[in-house]
Amino acid sequence: MKRKWIATTLVCTMLTAALAGCGGKEETGAASSDASASGGAESGAAGGELEGEITFWHSFTQGARMDAVQAAADSFMDLHPGVKINIETYSWGDFNTKWNAGITTGDLPDLSTAQNTGEVVEMINAGVAAPADNFLDTFGRDRFSEKALGDMTWDGSTYGIPYYSHAQVMWYRHDLLDAVGAKVPATWDEFYDLAVKLTDDDTYGAAFSCSTNDLLGTRYLNYYVTSGGGSLLNDDLTVNLTSDLAIEGINFWVDVYKNCSPAETVNYTVLDHATLFYQGKTAFDFNSGFMISGVQSNTPEIAEFVDAAPLPKIHADDPDYSAEATHIPLVIWENSEHPEICEAFVDWLLQEENYIPFLEAVPVGMLPAVEGISDTEAYKSNETVQFYSNAVDVISKAVELGNAIGVDDHGASVQASYLTSQGIIEAMFQDIITNGTDVNTAAKAAEDQLNEIFDMMID
Amino acid sequence: MNLMTRLKRRSGEAGCYIYVTILAIFAAFPLLWLFICSVKESGDLLANPTSMIPQKFTLANYHNVMVNLGLGTNIKNSLMVSLSTTLIATVISSLAAYGIVRFFPKLGNMMSKLLIMTYMFPAIVLVIPYAVVMGKLGLTNTRLGLVLVYLSFNVPYAVWLLVGFFKTVPIGIEEAARIDGAGRLQTFIRVVLPLVAPGLVSTAIYMFINAWNEFLYALILTSSSSITTLSIKLHTMQGADVLNWGDMMAACMVVVVPSVVFFSFIQKYIAGGMTEGAVK
Amino acid sequence: MKDKVKKDYGRWMWVLPAIVLVICLFVYPLGSQVFYSFTSKTLIKPSYGIKGLSNYTAILTDPDFWLALWTSVKWTVLSLLFQMLIGFTAALALNSIKNKVARQVYRILLIIPWAFPTIAIAIIWKWLLNGIYGFVPTLLVQLGLADQLPQFLSTPELVMPTLVMVNVWFGFPLIMVNVLAALQTVSQDQYEAAQIDGARKWHMFWYITLPHIKNVIGLLVVLRTIWVFNSFDIIYMITGGGPANVSTTLPIYIYNLGWVNKFVGRSSAAAVILLIILLTICTAYFCVLNRWEKEADA
Repeated sequence: MKRKWIATTLVCTMLTAALAGCGGKEETGAASSDASASGGAESGAAGGELEGEITFWHSFTQGARMDAVQAAADSFMDLHPGVKINIETYSWGDFNTKWNAGITTGDLPDLSTAQNTGEVVEMINAGVAAPADNFLDTFGRDRFSEKALGDMTWDGSTYGIPYYSHAQVMWYRHDLLDAVGAKVPATWDEFYDLAVKLTDDDTYGAAFSCSTNDLLGTRYLNYYVTSGGGSLLNDDLTVNLTSDLAIEGINFWVDVYKNCSPAETVNYTVLDHATLFYQGKTAFDFNSGFMISGVQSNTPEIAEFVDAAPLPKIHADDPDYSAEATHIPLVIWENSEHPEICEAFVDWLLQEENYIPFLEAVPVGMLPAVEGISDTEAYKSNETVQFYSNAVDVISKAVELGNAIGVDDHGASVQASYLTSQGIIEAMFQDIITNGTDVNTAAKAAEDQLNEIFDMMID
Repeated sequence: MNLMTRLKRRSGEAGCYIYVTILAIFAAFPLLWLFICSVKESGDLLANPTSMIPQKFTLANYHNVMVNLGLGTNIKNSLMVSLSTTLIATVISSLAAYGIVRFFPKLGNMMSKLLIMTYMFPAIVLVIPYAVVMGKLGLTNTRLGLVLVYLSFNVPYAVWLLVGFFKTVPIGIEEAARIDGAGRLQTFIRVVLPLVAPGLVSTAIYMFINAWNEFLYALILTSSSSITTLSIKLHTMQGADVLNWGDMMAACMVVVVPSVVFFSFIQKYIAGGMTEGAVK
Repeated sequence: MKDKVKKDYGRWMWVLPAIVLVICLFVYPLGSQVFYSFTSKTLIKPSYGIKGLSNYTAILTDPDFWLALWTSVKWTVLSLLFQMLIGFTAALALNSIKNKVARQVYRILLIIPWAFPTIAIAIIWKWLLNGIYGFVPTLLVQLGLADQLPQFLSTPELVMPTLVMVNVWFGFPLIMVNVLAALQTVSQDQYEAAQIDGARKWHMFWYITLPHIKNVIGLLVVLRTIWVFNSFDIIYMITGGGPANVSTTLPIYIYNLGWVNKFVGRSSAAAVILLIILLTICTAYFCVLNRWEKEADA
């Protein structure tokens, strides 16, 4: 009988030891941050130096941008010895899944970037973003673009702080245009004819991609619809994919896919897609200023031939427009124990000595979201910014004129962000392309599906 | 007659050689290609998609992966998680399997049937509940949390396998030991375990591989790059700002080559690890 | 003796850790999953309500669900068929190689795919089959077997066969190793006796080898069916289920419902349906296996 109990105890000890052996070495983030949290609250109440630990999630997964953020965090921690900033990076593709899972598991950051202002609205809808009004009022609301703040304003509070801005424009290779003696196209028809002409064995005119894991299909359709003065959302915030303009747009991009795009792009994401242009495989592309650094790092020999122009119009005499401007925001999270550290750190990130090196990590790709920065000597002296000054002007103008997809006249809405995050418009394109489904039928089906999701997800 | 048979046998064996050679090329070529691409420069990689010889041999991709991306941390994480899982699962499941065989002669069959039923629960069915449970226990983003989850799909299967191995141990040997005054646990450790050691090893290896390759739970349940496993780190590389195939090839090499070496050493133990016990 | 067993509560200590683990890690999560399947729970909103069977009706009337089920069946049956075929013949061929060193070398070469973590499988095959820079498409064009670069991962007709091929590449070594181990337990005496009786080679295979390894093969079929049917990561990482859902299997369908559309309730309902399907298949399998076992015992 005794032996039995010895046996039992032994087994239990073995198990505990094994478990502890593997758990012991861990930096149990949750526990330690709790401990420091209580310490921080006390000293915070005393009005003293900042103290505590925050976790910052961002999506700059490699290279100079990541280093610039890390450098800013390091200098911030030197300045405030009581503060620890843990930085985690996720690719854009995983970012949404990560914080969605975090709502269930409780593993959420104190401060994060968001993919765009639309994602901030999703965060507001989920109740995880904290108002940034306190910071904005101290820092100065007027130093940010009104449109950028408007995209993240809900019930009178603003929930995000713009970090940098960019906008969608048309990219082209003027060496290829010169070779056929063509001008930069101003209308979609001109663009299409030229793209078809430039498609040969080695190069494609332009790629059209619609992986359901990304938003390219929606983005491209939105270019066309916006250029015709329309919107993907109705006034009552239901989806509109069946207007004459939308159907025309869908047909337009399907033709581009069929006649000037590599076949494989039907399943390409933003990154796969852009890589084609980076490597000189496509003559035209539609994207933000990130194209320049992409081309420079992939195929430097063609970098000098790359330039940007405004998105084409339907008729040459249509008014100027911008289909999509994106402001990448910083968001302070509702669950944060240390909003004061987050605010101080955001302020630090936006100080000239930290902000300009960050922007210079992807010159032209990331335009300043804070007023006045573009006039500083440090910013203007960047070689890339100088060389591509035309592109900078084109993009800056598009940033000024534009909004996030679906926001246009309707203001910020969860519907607008679900337009891009569900992959349904992309699935519609794939269906038309691969199954030959009738455009009207496919558009109606996608419209119904999105409206159903809106009903279920939005109160 | 004799000559004919021999000739036939020869040609039969030659056929076998041809067949396994074709298969070996199919099986091993991706690894060879991985190696070639990992030492090519990026321009070369894209310009000559079928050239077997790099224009210029470079180790830059490896340097990038190990130094700049810190793949070493994730290798360590994967090792820690997989080893702990294997160790704990082996202890729990060998106790349970032996218990079932020796002390539950009637219930035993049903118990092991129920256990193998759990094998058919796809990871995708359990991932959301696990996320909730780990959140409540405060174990998200810890290696311990991952180990617990990995136990869930390893223990039932291992018990089921080991039951087969333990059944082969003749009860006479144990009774002899008991008569000599050894307790149950002593008998188990000193007498029974050595007898089933080969089965135990192959089961353990099988569990290790499962834990090492796991993807979905690690994706959802861990968030820091200092905690997460190799699979997730590799997955993250695919979503980087600029796709760098050379880096990805080097990272894959770093992961795959040690596994291949490990596999060639242990292959005589894994032989049949998956089914041997169960059909015994 | 009987009395002793009855009073022996200590015996529970042996199985207790496993039982506790199974209850904590299966019963509770499964229970909550079934519960969610009757609710409107979403991934991000804190509140939800009971919705009865509406998730189930939504799933069962969704044509995409039936498409995913059909894709799953194709994926499982084809992968399994070719894995078994190649794994089995490879084992037989290896077993016939007399030279020990050669056999060893081939064995190592043939189990290489098994050493690849799924993410590495995805990366290398995506690269080999890449429609612009891929080795295989470029080679086919260079050899004159194709006019244009074949698009293995985006032409709808090619996607599933390609994925099955990758899965066969990864899965056949496991079958091979297991069959090989079983083959080596067939005693040489039986063969020799048969040879003396003048039996032909395939007769010996049919009447001696096959019955001997039948159970192993049966079991492998069961285990691999479950494994392949459930496998999520290989397809998720290579095509993500696209293009146009042609490679969306049930696990991918469930993942998308839960993590992209964020409908946890509906995704749980689909998961419960998947489980019911698997349970049915496996019960049938186990019935067959049991009968084989009884035949063997008798």
